[in-house]
Amino acid sequence: MATQHSKTAARWMISPAVIMLLAWMIIPLSLTLYFSFLRYNLLMPGTNPFVGFENYEYFFTDPGFQAALINTILLVVGVLIITVVGGIAFAILLDQPIKGQGIVRILVIAPFFVMPTVSALVWKNMFMNPVSGIFGHMAKSIGLAPFDFLSQAPLASIIGIVSWQWLPFATLILLTAMQSLDQEQLEAAEMDGASWWSRFWYIMLPHLSRAITVVILIQTIFLLSIFAEILVTTNGGPGTASTNLTYLIYAQSLLQYDVGLGSAGGVVAIILANIVAIFLMRMIGKNLDA
Amino acid sequence: MGQIILDQVTKSFGDVNVIPPLDLAIEDGEFTVFVGPSGCGKSTLLRLIAGLEDTTSGHIRIDGRDATELPPSKRGLAMVFQSYALYPHMTVRKNIAFPMKMAGVDKAEQKKRIDNAARALNLTDYLDRRPGQLSGGQRQRVAIGRAIVREPAAFLFDEPLSNLDAALRVGMRLEIGELHNRLKTTMIYVTHDQVEAMTMADKIVVLRAGVIEQVGSPLELYKKPRNVFVASFIGSPKMNLIEGATAAEHGATTIGVRPEHISVSPTEGMWKGRIGVAEHLGSDTFFHVHDTGLADMITIRAGGEIDLHHGDTVYLTPTPDKIHRFDQQGLRVA
Repeated sequence: MATQHSKTAARWMISPAVIMLLAWMIIPLSLTLYFSFLRYNLLMPGTNPFVGFENYEYFFTDPGFQAALINTILLVVGVLIITVVGGIAFAILLDQPIKGQGIVRILVIAPFFVMPTVSALVWKNMFMNPVSGIFGHMAKSIGLAPFDFLSQAPLASIIGIVSWQWLPFATLILLTAMQSLDQEQLEAAEMDGASWWSRFWYIMLPHLSRAITVVILIQTIFLLSIFAEILVTTNGGPGTASTNLTYLIYAQSLLQYDVGLGSAGGVVAIILANIVAIFLMRMIGKNLDA
Repeated sequence: MGQIILDQVTKSFGDVNVIPPLDLAIEDGEFTVFVGPSGCGKSTLLRLIAGLEDTTSGHIRIDGRDATELPPSKRGLAMVFQSYALYPHMTVRKNIAFPMKMAGVDKAEQKKRIDNAARALNLTDYLDRRPGQLSGGQRQRVAIGRAIVREPAAFLFDEPLSNLDAALRVGMRLEIGELHNRLKTTMIYVTHDQVEAMTMADKIVVLRAGVIEQVGSPLELYKKPRNVFVASFIGSPKMNLIEGATAAEHGATTIGVRPEHISVSPTEGMWKGRIGVAEHLGSDTFFHVHDTGLADMITIRAGGEIDLHHGDTVYLTPTPDKIHRFDQQGLRVA
């Protein structure tokens, strides 16, 4: 029985948790917001005068800003395309009855358990390194010059590494969706004269649409903040060729000891992430209803 | 046209032989029902005919053409599944249009056939809804509509009514029966419900463990069951089977008498017993009679007006020419 009295009691009981959560979020957010309006450089201690939007002006006019914005979008979109398409392919393959199915599935999921830093280092040193990497050896063995992935195609290489990490996630979600597809529907379509491709296009893909939405939503949130992979492989370079927004903020606030500028970048990133989230929800969040 | 002939067809899953060599001929326009207990291979047999399962050996001929190696879509058969297997993201119209779209039928012809099917199946008002918004009976009709528009050589039904409630099942049974009368197309219908088999079939195929026990019209099966299994499977309530001395008197190992062929009297008769449960249905009364010394329980079907109750002592008399006799192997003795 929820009387007026018990409702009030419930509010009192729940308030510590709510206040805690709010403080957890609001204090760092408002401090960041506050710092972003100060000239606050750790190399010039002492005064932290209020400078208005100066930090934002610096951030937006930074030569790296535009590149970082474009790189962020390329990184997110590129990884999404590779993981969703690859995830669907893997899900369909893994859904087939094969020998050693359990082991194959665990192997496919394995990359997801490797820490980003570790996997990026493995890729950098054991695969992509032109001298000691496997790809370099393979190129040499057929008489080609080894390709220096991280300096000649830094962003594409990072997209590759991140895709490798996130493909298992997409595969896992899409595989479970695949397994919930009613086999009789596929048989009915087969009786109806649908080729494999038609069955994929008209039956499987619509069935997977909701799972694909989930994959895109969740991955976008994480992919906007890719950092470790860039730090250990290219350091954002050469130049700004593989700098995304997260890395740009890090470079400005920590490498230049400029807390004010970094905070301004942080606020910009929050705003951008929210814009993306709103658009995503509008565009494909509809899919999640009903 | 829709003549289907199975010639020495077998099916094994690994080492398990589901269907031993089996011969069966289904004539054009016939309503054939495969009936048998769960796991008797009737659905597997239907899926072999549909092409959804590969035959291990033997041949399937449809209209004289060897269809054993043909893929399902090339056999010209349409199937209605137990779960209906409608495409959930498509409207009813698109569901029905799907097979025609795959076959590349032109738009005007598609529309004509959809409208005809919708009218025949009372679906006109629901064409723009999705399967999720329909009731069980309506979904069933959409599944049938999707089969009709292909104008197949034969319809295959895989327990289509088992997901419906009792009242709807009776209604759909009539609709499918009428559909067969109107289209005159071959239909093969799988069910475990002998009432459906008896009411709809031109020809019933009784299966047990992949083996055909008997093929015949409903009345043939009722009047002359070939063995004990068919005798007890066809007819409701089940036939009473009596063994021992009473059977030996009739020169058989087992005798069978249907509940409706035993008359009951409170005063005199051949066998004496005591009424257990009495089920008064209004039109009929079913008595379960105990302590007869013949079998655990003898079921009797009597008129609705009879005034006998639990615990009464009764005398039973079987109709002499309605006693079925079976030998040691369970086969009918002429």
